[in-house]
Amino acid sequence: MSSESSASADWPGRYYHIDQVLNTPGPRTDEAFLAGDGVKNFLRDQAKILVIGAGGLGCEILANLALTGFKDIHVIDMDTIDISNLNRQFLFRPKDVGKSKAIVAAEFIMKRVPGVKVTPYFGKIQDKDDDYYMQFNLVICGLDSVEARRWMNATLVNLVDPENPESLKPMIDGGTEGFKGQARVILPTITSCYECSLDMLNKPTAFPICTIANTPRLPEHCIEWASVLEWPRVHGDKKLDTDDPDHIGWLYRVAAARAAEFKIEGVTWSLTQGVVKNIIPAIASTNAIIAAACCNEAFKIALHEKRDDCPVCGGEALEITISPEMTVEELIDMLVEKQDIQIKKPSLSTPTKQIYLQAPPQLEQSTRPNLEKKVSELVPPNGEVTVTATTLPFSLSLRISYSA
Amino acid sequence: MSALNIEESTTALVTEQAPDNKTKRYDRQLRLWAASGQNALESSRILVISGTATSTSILKNLVLPGIGQFTILDSTKVTPEDAGNNFFLEGPSSIGKSRAEEAVRLLSELNDGVEGKADLRSLEEVLEKDKEWLSEFTIVIAHNLEAALLDKLSGLLWEDQGFPSLVVVRSAGFLAEFYIQYHEHTVIESHPETAQSLRLDKPFPSLLDYSMSLDFENMDVTDHAHVPYLFILVRLLEEWKKTHNGSPPATYAEKKEFKKSILSMRKKHDEENFEEAEAQAYRAWTPTTVPSDISALFTDPKVLSLTDSSPPFYHLVYALSKFVEDQPYHALPLTSTLPDIKASTDSYIHLQKLYKARAEEEKQIFKSYLKVPVEEDMVDAFLKNSHALKLLRGKKWGALEADKEALVSAIETAPKQLSTHLALTALTSLAAKNQPNAPLTPTVEDLTAEAQTLLPPGTDLPDEFPDAVGEVARSPTADLPNTAALLGGLVAQEVIKMITKQYIPINGYCIVDLIETWTGIL
Repeated sequence: MSSESSASADWPGRYYHIDQVLNTPGPRTDEAFLAGDGVKNFLRDQAKILVIGAGGLGCEILANLALTGFKDIHVIDMDTIDISNLNRQFLFRPKDVGKSKAIVAAEFIMKRVPGVKVTPYFGKIQDKDDDYYMQFNLVICGLDSVEARRWMNATLVNLVDPENPESLKPMIDGGTEGFKGQARVILPTITSCYECSLDMLNKPTAFPICTIANTPRLPEHCIEWASVLEWPRVHGDKKLDTDDPDHIGWLYRVAAARAAEFKIEGVTWSLTQGVVKNIIPAIASTNAIIAAACCNEAFKIALHEKRDDCPVCGGEALEITISPEMTVEELIDMLVEKQDIQIKKPSLSTPTKQIYLQAPPQLEQSTRPNLEKKVSELVPPNGEVTVTATTLPFSLSLRISYSA
Repeated sequence: MSALNIEESTTALVTEQAPDNKTKRYDRQLRLWAASGQNALESSRILVISGTATSTSILKNLVLPGIGQFTILDSTKVTPEDAGNNFFLEGPSSIGKSRAEEAVRLLSELNDGVEGKADLRSLEEVLEKDKEWLSEFTIVIAHNLEAALLDKLSGLLWEDQGFPSLVVVRSAGFLAEFYIQYHEHTVIESHPETAQSLRLDKPFPSLLDYSMSLDFENMDVTDHAHVPYLFILVRLLEEWKKTHNGSPPATYAEKKEFKKSILSMRKKHDEENFEEAEAQAYRAWTPTTVPSDISALFTDPKVLSLTDSSPPFYHLVYALSKFVEDQPYHALPLTSTLPDIKASTDSYIHLQKLYKARAEEEKQIFKSYLKVPVEEDMVDAFLKNSHALKLLRGKKWGALEADKEALVSAIETAPKQLSTHLALTALTSLAAKNQPNAPLTPTVEDLTAEAQTLLPPGTDLPDEFPDAVGEVARSPTADLPNTAALLGGLVAQEVIKMITKQYIPINGYCIVDLIETWTGIL
């Protein structure tokens, strides 16, 4: 079976569609994109992608990555399949209910898309160590909890070793809620991270305990009373299992009785479940949109993966050739305008001296006379200049040579 | 009384049982469109023309939520190229088999409740010999159809208002667009984010009477801290008007004074209901009016020329216009939906009862203006959403190309979107001129020349056009997995809105650019 699938894995014409964009650059393709075999080999033979979550987003992400040509995909999920997943998690069938999402999803993808290897892990992201995460080129998250995102984000940020460009793992984070969703690319330590924008999250709805206990007005207040106050009072240490229909049924009846007592309308089974499980509506189409956006970003990042002269992750200085007559001021103007650098207000220094600093004011004043000097007076041929700017989250190295 | 006793004493009262498997399966979507939306989906019949990767991606997102039936119309056999990019084909083992049959088989696995059919005729044949068949569907979706067939199909489906809407989907590599051709689309349940006015500026008699009857001075301290803010505001506004020639607070100083008078009523400093009243004080002086796009509906030609056979939506709008015109408040009928308010249970329930009773009275008045009977559920939904009704009028596919003025104005207003649209349109036209079965490899020059013919003479293509046309020339026939998946989600999303008549679908072209990752409306 496996020999058959690998023999048929790359049948002629298989990559007809995707190869159209891999064979030829487009008008907006980055200069660093090297069309042809190099990029195909990277995609199909080298790239190793980690998918966190095999749920609504995860199923979509795995299918997109497999069809795009990624062959080595890993997936982590600690959950098992529930019947309410089947309206969108399209790799699962009724017979799979109760099984591991990661394992079923991996098997399905490998069966449907020949030659792709999906390695599942049925467990928590916290079970894995830095060495594990270090093996991947990038990570795509399709998670439903803030805690898991924070953990993954912090782990990938901490993984970054400035001496080792390979340690920088782009994290692509997707999330959906009903008809809405978002996809975001995080380059750990370079772009803002998940934690940076934590304060932009909506606060979860919380009902004051005195309202629940004394002045219920909404059906939700009655349901909270049943789950927060009555359950522990009646059941003691027995843990409330929100996936157990008997437990939900008990809460529903108790909440409905309280609502009747207070003449409050609207306690239903569905609302009870929604409140105690904090259910977020979810549909296939929104997940498809967000997962596709995430995978498209992953695809674009993978195509650029081999850019050794990338100012951020290439680890090498950018070579530029200038006239020996060029002044420092002219060099700065050039840096501001140059398409692949685009720095506003750059400050320049060599390993031994400051050339021009935009701030603080005292240093700006003391280095200002250098603006009129020739670069060649300050930097030897093939000498390195470090460029920094407040708008730039990293420093850029230039190797300067002079035209004859 | 222990909880167990509560339980026993109320089993008779509570009848709802644990949900069945179907309700469990659809739980996460029922919370968005409820049973009414689900019923509409389950009654729908969708035709998708051809079994491309994009087509099956769209269908996947419609089969999962449970449309009634779908048909794939495709006469071709699976090619090695198809087997490489379509998740609803089984790799090399599908090659040579009917593409429609393979896709239907694998899509049907997603949901037992959905019936899938493969139709192996060509669209040419259907258009020639069996046009009527097309009118059986709720919606027709066509991906990358060639120009002549698309013109015929869109022309045919436009002929009668009762014919299905047509979703035209086109894609090439990282670029794509889709367009929904429909005559009109009315939405009652638009799921607005704003609530109806509580009408505090025009309090109905029982609300006003009760607010005025409250004896704040001699009230028990606990009760005082639990009077719902609505009563406080209505009372203060009434008193204010008596000393201000019947006008509400108008100037900044007056509003500040009004707010001050709210806080001065407090008996203790921590009375949250008075703080809430201060925060909500704007409701007292904001006049309740009929939103302008709702009053615009009142004079819609279809409302003015109402007949007994007009669709219920227009009858309801007519009744609404009469209600607003005749009734003393000249406002939309009251609804009984209240936000949560800091209050005791009893005072909140009392407030709710006042609103409910009044809303029921106004509903009866509203119904008296109806010229034909309308289902009760529909009346209720209409009144609940009367501030957020939506009437969309669409255009025939290709109307933009025929309207040179609109094209020229789009160069200014939406140059990026227009560029992508023109590049994809040029590709469709060139494909029609291509030799049958010859590879489609148009050059940038050919595509640009073709696009130029779409604009009035002497008009320059937008500056952004080269960015779009270069992508189309790079990958003219690429149905990329990520683009197909994204389109699959976007198109299914809009189709669900069309079928359920809930939420507001797009009106115009949706343009997708996955190089820069944006979508836009043209």
